[in-house]
Order: sequence, then structure tokens, then C-alpha cells
Amino acid sequence: MLLSLLSKRSLNDDSRDAYGFTVRPQHIHRYREYANIYKEEEEERLQKWKTFLEQQVGSTSAHEFNEANTRDVVSEVTKQSNDPAETVSGESDDSNEPARNETVSGESEKRSDNDTEEEGIIPNKEAPVTTQHAKSLEVQTWAKISPSLDSIEQMLSTRVKKRKNMEGKTVKHGHNDLPAIDEAKSESEDADDDDDDKDEMDSVNASEVEISASDKMYPEPFFPRREELEFLVRGGVPKELRGEVWQAFVGVRTRRVETYYQDLLATKDDDASGGQEHDKYDLPEKWRKQIEKDLPRTFPGHPALNEKGRNSLRRVLSAYARHNPSVGYCQAMNFFAGLLLLMMPEENAFWTLVGIIDDYFEDYFSQEMIESQVDQLVFEDLMRERFPKLVNHLDYLGVEVAWICGPWFLSIFVNMLPWESVLRVWDVILFEGNRVMLFRTALALMDLYGPAVVTTKDAGDAITLFQTLAGSTFDSSQLVLTACMGFLTITEDRLQELREKHRPAILAAAEERAKGGRVFKDPKGLATKLYSFKHDPESIVKENKTETDKIDKMTNLDSHGANLDEILNGITVDSEVDSLPDLQEQVVWLKVELCSLLEEKRSAVLRAEELEAALMEMVTEDNRRELTARVEQLEQEVAELRQALADKREGEKAMLQVLMKVEQEQRVTEEARRFAEQDAAAQRYTVHILEEKYEKATASLTQLEKRAVMAESMLEATLQYESGQSKALSSPRLGRLESPRDMPIKKTGLLSFGLGWRDKNKGKPSNDGAPPDAETNGPQQ
Amino acid sequence: MGCSSSVPDRSAGRIGGINPDNGGVVDAKNLKVKLVLLGDSGVGKSCIVLRFVRGQFDPTSKVTVGASFLSQTIALQDSSTVKFEIWDTAGQERYAALAPLYYRGAAVAVVVYDITSPESFSKAQYWVKELQKHGSPDIVMALVGNKADLHERREVPAQDGIDYAEKNGMFFIETSAKTADNINQLFEEIAKRLPRPSPS
Repeated sequence: MLLSLLSKRSLNDDSRDAYGFTVRPQHIHRYREYANIYKEEEEERLQKWKTFLEQQVGSTSAHEFNEANTRDVVSEVTKQSNDPAETVSGESDDSNEPARNETVSGESEKRSDNDTEEEGIIPNKEAPVTTQHAKSLEVQTWAKISPSLDSIEQMLSTRVKKRKNMEGKTVKHGHNDLPAIDEAKSESEDADDDDDDKDEMDSVNASEVEISASDKMYPEPFFPRREELEFLVRGGVPKELRGEVWQAFVGVRTRRVETYYQDLLATKDDDASGGQEHDKYDLPEKWRKQIEKDLPRTFPGHPALNEKGRNSLRRVLSAYARHNPSVGYCQAMNFFAGLLLLMMPEENAFWTLVGIIDDYFEDYFSQEMIESQVDQLVFEDLMRERFPKLVNHLDYLGVEVAWICGPWFLSIFVNMLPWESVLRVWDVILFEGNRVMLFRTALALMDLYGPAVVTTKDAGDAITLFQTLAGSTFDSSQLVLTACMGFLTITEDRLQELREKHRPAILAAAEERAKGGRVFKDPKGLATKLYSFKHDPESIVKENKTETDKIDKMTNLDSHGANLDEILNGITVDSEVDSLPDLQEQVVWLKVELCSLLEEKRSAVLRAEELEAALMEMVTEDNRRELTARVEQLEQEVAELRQALADKREGEKAMLQVLMKVEQEQRVTEEARRFAEQDAAAQRYTVHILEEKYEKATASLTQLEKRAVMAESMLEATLQYESGQSKALSSPRLGRLESPRDMPIKKTGLLSFGLGWRDKNKGKPSNDGAPPDAETNGPQQ
Repeated sequence: MGCSSSVPDRSAGRIGGINPDNGGVVDAKNLKVKLVLLGDSGVGKSCIVLRFVRGQFDPTSKVTVGASFLSQTIALQDSSTVKFEIWDTAGQERYAALAPLYYRGAAVAVVVYDITSPESFSKAQYWVKELQKHGSPDIVMALVGNKADLHERREVPAQDGIDYAEKNGMFFIETSAKTADNINQLFEEIAKRLPRPSPS
């Protein structure tokens, strides 16, 4: 629910995703790419879900209505009697009424008695319907989920039905005192009984049978739609429905025992207010401290986890620690509770957490973390079966599968995958109600990233690569699809089978730890033994024999009874033998017998182990040698290829140089040619001009010649005329005779001058029009 | 809670065979070592690693669930390099059940406590004993008193750390991931103490 409080601004912050979580800087780019895809997917799935839920309500509303009426009657009666178990069932809404987020009045009264809601209770602004509530400042930590999800809840909460009834009884029994511890005990006993049922119920058919047999309250028609629902869940739950849908999956309403949460918190308030009351329900100091340490380290910097949010988180975790002391508080739960608080009100988050940790991850986060260790071994088995090549490579690098997958499993992928993917995986986990999806997702990741990891040559690189790649799994649909479709053979039954196989070993190890771990063999010890075994396979057996002999000898000496006991204790004999009847001798004899048997068994086990170890070593050695050879060969090939590449490159370079030289030369020639061309053009031009001048000159010359001819003819004519005149006049004027004599001389002079000039001015014909004219004209006048 | 490895014998045997390069030696000049950080919750194990590997300090770092891995290579003065493959483990007590998975085969163990918390110091001693019992026999151990910047709130005298380290053949240093004090020195000193393969 905290998520709804996020301001728009803080979400727009570049480095945070749609849920307010920081995106690692190296992933921001990819996240932005996927943000749009997410948006599209989101719209699509919202549509699908709406249709589905509408149909669901439509098909069941008639039935619901009647049922709700009858139950209302019941609840009115039982509310008075304050019976929590009954009240829970009485809370079912009338589905015709949008009763979402409405608070049952009786409940809020009770809560105000407890005085716990003041600080940090989150007003519920999730749906528009409830804004009025928020305005009226009604605070609430519990909200019912939308009635449209009722049928889903009913369908799935059959898984918790049995336990709830049990819980109801115990709570009723000790209602005035705080029932926390007693109840949790009865619960864990109960849980064992439940186990088998739960497993069976996981397959669709089984659950149908179960329901029709044990629960007539829920009508059959819901169940054919389970597959449809499953399909929808795999496609992802829409963001705005997720909080409620998850609650429906976990069966929060069925689990809930009214005032239980408040009661758990009430004790806490007591010891917080002064610590006078240190009764047995106190939250153990170490958990309180650990929770305090981890509060600021849960999604640090998330805008919704302000002080209020942290207070809610503190309450949920403390309440859980009290509710189930066998788990108490375990790191990782802070993230789960924080995640749930982002999506639902506080008390709902508490009950969802209860469902997850008590049921789905039972014994996973408890003191010894038994199941989480078992699951690691199971997963390794599955890995070896599914990805032998990858596991071989990891073995070769010295990487253990659990190094990589341990954190994945323990954190249910929170902080390991991008948020969208985490939520999509959680959708399926909560729907299925078991850890199958955990395995399938991990296998899907191996499937997606195994091929890349196989190329690594170094343990560190392989692990880093896994971490980085997993952290960049933004394609949540691909992941979920691969997980659900690709590993159908991984079923709860199969897992249980494998768990049974591995559990004894883990339990034994845990027991040894508890005892002080005397028998545990550290690697060094094993190696030494292996060594000695290789060299002298009989030695260990012999050793045992001599030891047994010694003991046999000692048995004869009754007086050494006390001594013997010491020795026997040293070899960890089962103390049950001590309870045998009186006869000391017999006891001793039996003890010895048992002892030697135990010793023998142990040596046999040891031998088996050593043989296995030796075999493994041989196999890996072999493997390694082969791999090394192959690697060497490949490396050589690579080197050769590199050499070839280098050679080629050199050749290329030389060629390039030559080419460049040629090109340059070409360029130079080109230049020269261009220059020459230019020259030629210039010359052509001058030639042209000269030609023109020549022509002009010739033209003017011909003109001149014409004129000269004309002038000559005129001169001749004048001369003829003059001679005719003189003949006619005969010579009365002698003076006038002189001039005709001069004339021919002049004429030749002019002619010769004209020709000479022409010769001289050949090629320079310009401006020669006028002077010859003047010259020619001159003598005429 | 007495704590030894809870990992079943089967895998214990197998690992003994598979991971012979415990010290992770690549060659004489370039070492590769597996290092594990142990210590109480909240003493700053992750912060030390982050400071060393990324040079960052985040006062509100996340809770470590299970374990997380980072690696960093440093160059020494004699021009050799050491690549640290660092396993940063979860601090809460119950995760101790998983710790053997990570410290098995480690060449270096850095046991961290918080100088403002005597409790974390006794937890550190627990880890030292645990390692002496179940770690590699030739493991290099360092005792680190972190949060040295909070000297006003100091509750574990430096001398206690020195004495304890000396008694157990460990190397002791006080660091501050916040101010980066002695962080690089810590790893350099570890690098110097690593058993070197004789140059061949």
C-alpha cells in the first residue's frame, strides 16, 4: 500500500523504476527500453484480468449472494461471542456491494483499544472508492480485498483451511492471554500433518478432489477455470490488482485471526514502553536488535520506506517473530515484508508473510535453515540432470552451484533480478503455493545464461557473469515463460522425492553441529585419509579392528567399568543403551557390541566416501586433462589464426602503400597534364588573336592597295589631263611646265614608300587605315 | 551454537577433489585467491568490499542475503598482481550454517568486527575458532576492526584486537570503510602474506 503513497515526482526520478526501486546505473538504459514494453504488457493483462474477473463474478454471484446472506447471519451471532475463527468467515462481503477496503466496524473498535494504530498506519488510498475514507482520516491497517477476487481466494485458500481451523481453536482457547508461543507450537505440529495433504493438493486434480470432499461450502464450478487463471498468472498480475490478488492466492482472509496481529503488537508496545514486563512472550533481544539493524538496510532510499514505512516494517517483522519463534526473524524476511508493505496494508502484509514463511517456505528460514540447504542439494541434482555440460564446466572452474543459486533461493530473487521479473516470479510462486517456481526460474536462468558462462575461464568471471546477467533479466515474460514451459517435469512431487533423498544428510549434519561436530570431517582430514586409503586400503579397517580388540579386552575387567564408560562416551554411543536393565556386564557387553558395530559402520561409510571422493577426483582429473588439452589446442589454433591475420594485415598494408604511391604519381601527372592543357589553350588563344590581326591587316592592305591603285589611276588621269592641257596650251607659261616634270618623281616616291611601309608593317595591321589615307590624300590636294 | 559445516559429506568430499587450486595460483607473478569475509551482522563487511572494489561508501547499504561476490585485482610493488575473489557472507547468526560453503577452500579469511561493539568482537573470535577447526589449514587470516572513524564510541580497545590476533597468528588492522582508512592497506598486506609458489 505504501506504493500508492509514492509521489509522482519521486517516480519520475530517472534512477528509479515504476515501483520506486533504484535501477542500477548500468541498467538504466535497458530499463528504459523495457519500460515501454512493460507498459504495453500491463495494459493488455489488465484487460484480460478484468474480463476474467467479470466473468468470474457473473458466474458465481447468484450463489455467492445466498451464501453471503447466510453467513452474515452467522457472523452477527458470532461477532458477539468474539470468536475469532468464526468472525473471519463472517467477514465475507456481499459481492453485490463494492465493499473494497471497508473496515469492519467491530474490528476498528477493538483496535482502538490496543492503541497501536496511531503511528505509521497507512491510510489506504489505493482505489478511488476509498479516497473518501482517507479524507475522513480513518486509519486502518487491515483492508479486505476486492469481492471480485473472492472466488479465487476461496479456491486457493482451501490450502490453508485445515490449519486455520486449528489456529482458531487455539486462539479461542487462550484468547485473553497471548497465545503466540503455544499456538505456534501447535501449529508446527499441525504443519507436519498438513504436509502430505498440501503436496497432493498442488496438482489440479488433487485439489479438486480435496475440495469436493472436505469443503462443501465452495461450489465446484470455480475449478474448471483454474487453468485459465493459471495462464493469466503466468502472463503476470496487473500492477493495480497485484496486492489483492496475492492476498487471495495466499488466502489471507482465511488465515486471519482477528486481533491476533494487534495482540502480538501489544506485547511489543509493553516492553518498548519501559521493559518492565519481561514475560515469555517477549521478543528475544537478538531478533529485536537484528530487526533494528536491518530496517534502514531494507530497500535503502526507497521513497515509500520513510519513517512511517519503517515503523510498519518493524511491526510486521516483530509480530512475525513472535508469531513463529521457531523462525523468529531471518535476514531476507525484511525484504519480503518490505515488498508486501508496498502493495498492501500492514496487517494484510503480515498475514501474507505468515502464509509465505509458514507454509510455502516452511523450515526454510528457521534456525538451522534445513530446507534451504536441502533445496540447494536438490537443485544441484536437477542441474546435473538438465545442464550436465554447464555443471561440468562449473566443476572444472571450482564453482559450486549453491554459491550462485543459494542467494537466489534465499532471497526469492529479490535484489537478484530486475523488479518486474521478481514480481512476475512471485506471482507464480504465490499462486502455486509451493517452491516449484523457484526451481523453475533458477533453471530458466541457467538455461538463458549457461551458454555464456560456459565460455568463462575463471571461477570469479563465471560468478560475476551470472550475477550480472541475472541482474539484467529485464525480459520478464521470457523468463517466466521459459521457467513455466521449459521445465514442466519439475513438479512438487518430484521435488519432494529429491528432498526426501537429501534431507537425512542435512539433518545429520545439523545434528552434528548441535552436538559439537566431532565427527565432521574437514577437507584436509578427508584428503589425508584418502591418501592413506589409496596407499593401504586395509589400514583403516585394521585400525578399527585393533580398537575393537582393545575394547574387548577392557570389557573383561569389570573394575574398569567407569573408565569404560568414559571411553564409550568418547565414541558417542547412543545413550539409549544406558536404559537397559541392571546387569552391568550385559550392559557393557551390549555397549561394546554396539560400539563395534557403529565403528564398523562408520568406517564403511568413510570408505564409501573416500572411494567416491577418489572417483570424483579421478573423473575431474580426467576431465580436466581433456579440457586442458582441448583448450591448449584451441589456443594454438587461435594463435595461428592470429598470426595469419597479422600476416594478411601486413600484406594489405604494403599493398596499400604501393597503391597510394601510384595514386600520387597519377595525381602529379594529372596536374602536369592540366598545366599543359592550360598552356595550350593560352597559346591557341594568342594564335587565334594573331590570325585575326593578320586578317585585318591583310584586309586593310588590300584596301590600301586598292586606294593606291585608285590613286595611281587618278594620278595617271591627272597626268594625262595635264599633258593634254600642256599640249593644248603649248607653253605660254613655262613655269607651269616644271611641275609635271616633278610629278612622276613624286609618284614613284609614293609608291615605293607605300610598298616599303607595307613590308615593314606586316603583322601589325592595326591603325594603319588613317595614315596611308592621309598620305595618299595628301598628294592629291 | 556450535557450528561446523552443515553441508553433507558428499559434496565435501567432492569439492576436496575438484578445487585443488585452493590458493588459485595462476603463475608466480599473478596470484588468484579466494577470500571470504566473516563477522557479525552490520559490522561493515559489505562496505569494506565495496570500498575496496568500487571505491564507494554507502551508509545505507543493503542487507546481504546468503552471500555476494565481487572480485578485484591489485598490483604490488614487485609488479606482481593478486586477484581477490571475494565472498561477502551474510552476518546473521543462522546464516553461519551456510558459511562453510563459502569459506571452504578459501585461501584468505577476513574476520571483521565493529570497534563500537564488544558483541561483534566475541562473534569474531567465534569465527576465528570456527576457521581454525574447519578452514583450510594454511588459511591466511586477518582480524579487522572496522568503523575506526567512530573512535569516540569505541568499546573494543585496539590492544584487545592486537593481542587476540597475535595469539592466533593473525594479521590485525583497524579500518574505516567510511573514510577509506586502511582499506587498501588491508588487502595489500594480505597480498604480501600469501604463500608464494616458488618460481619455476
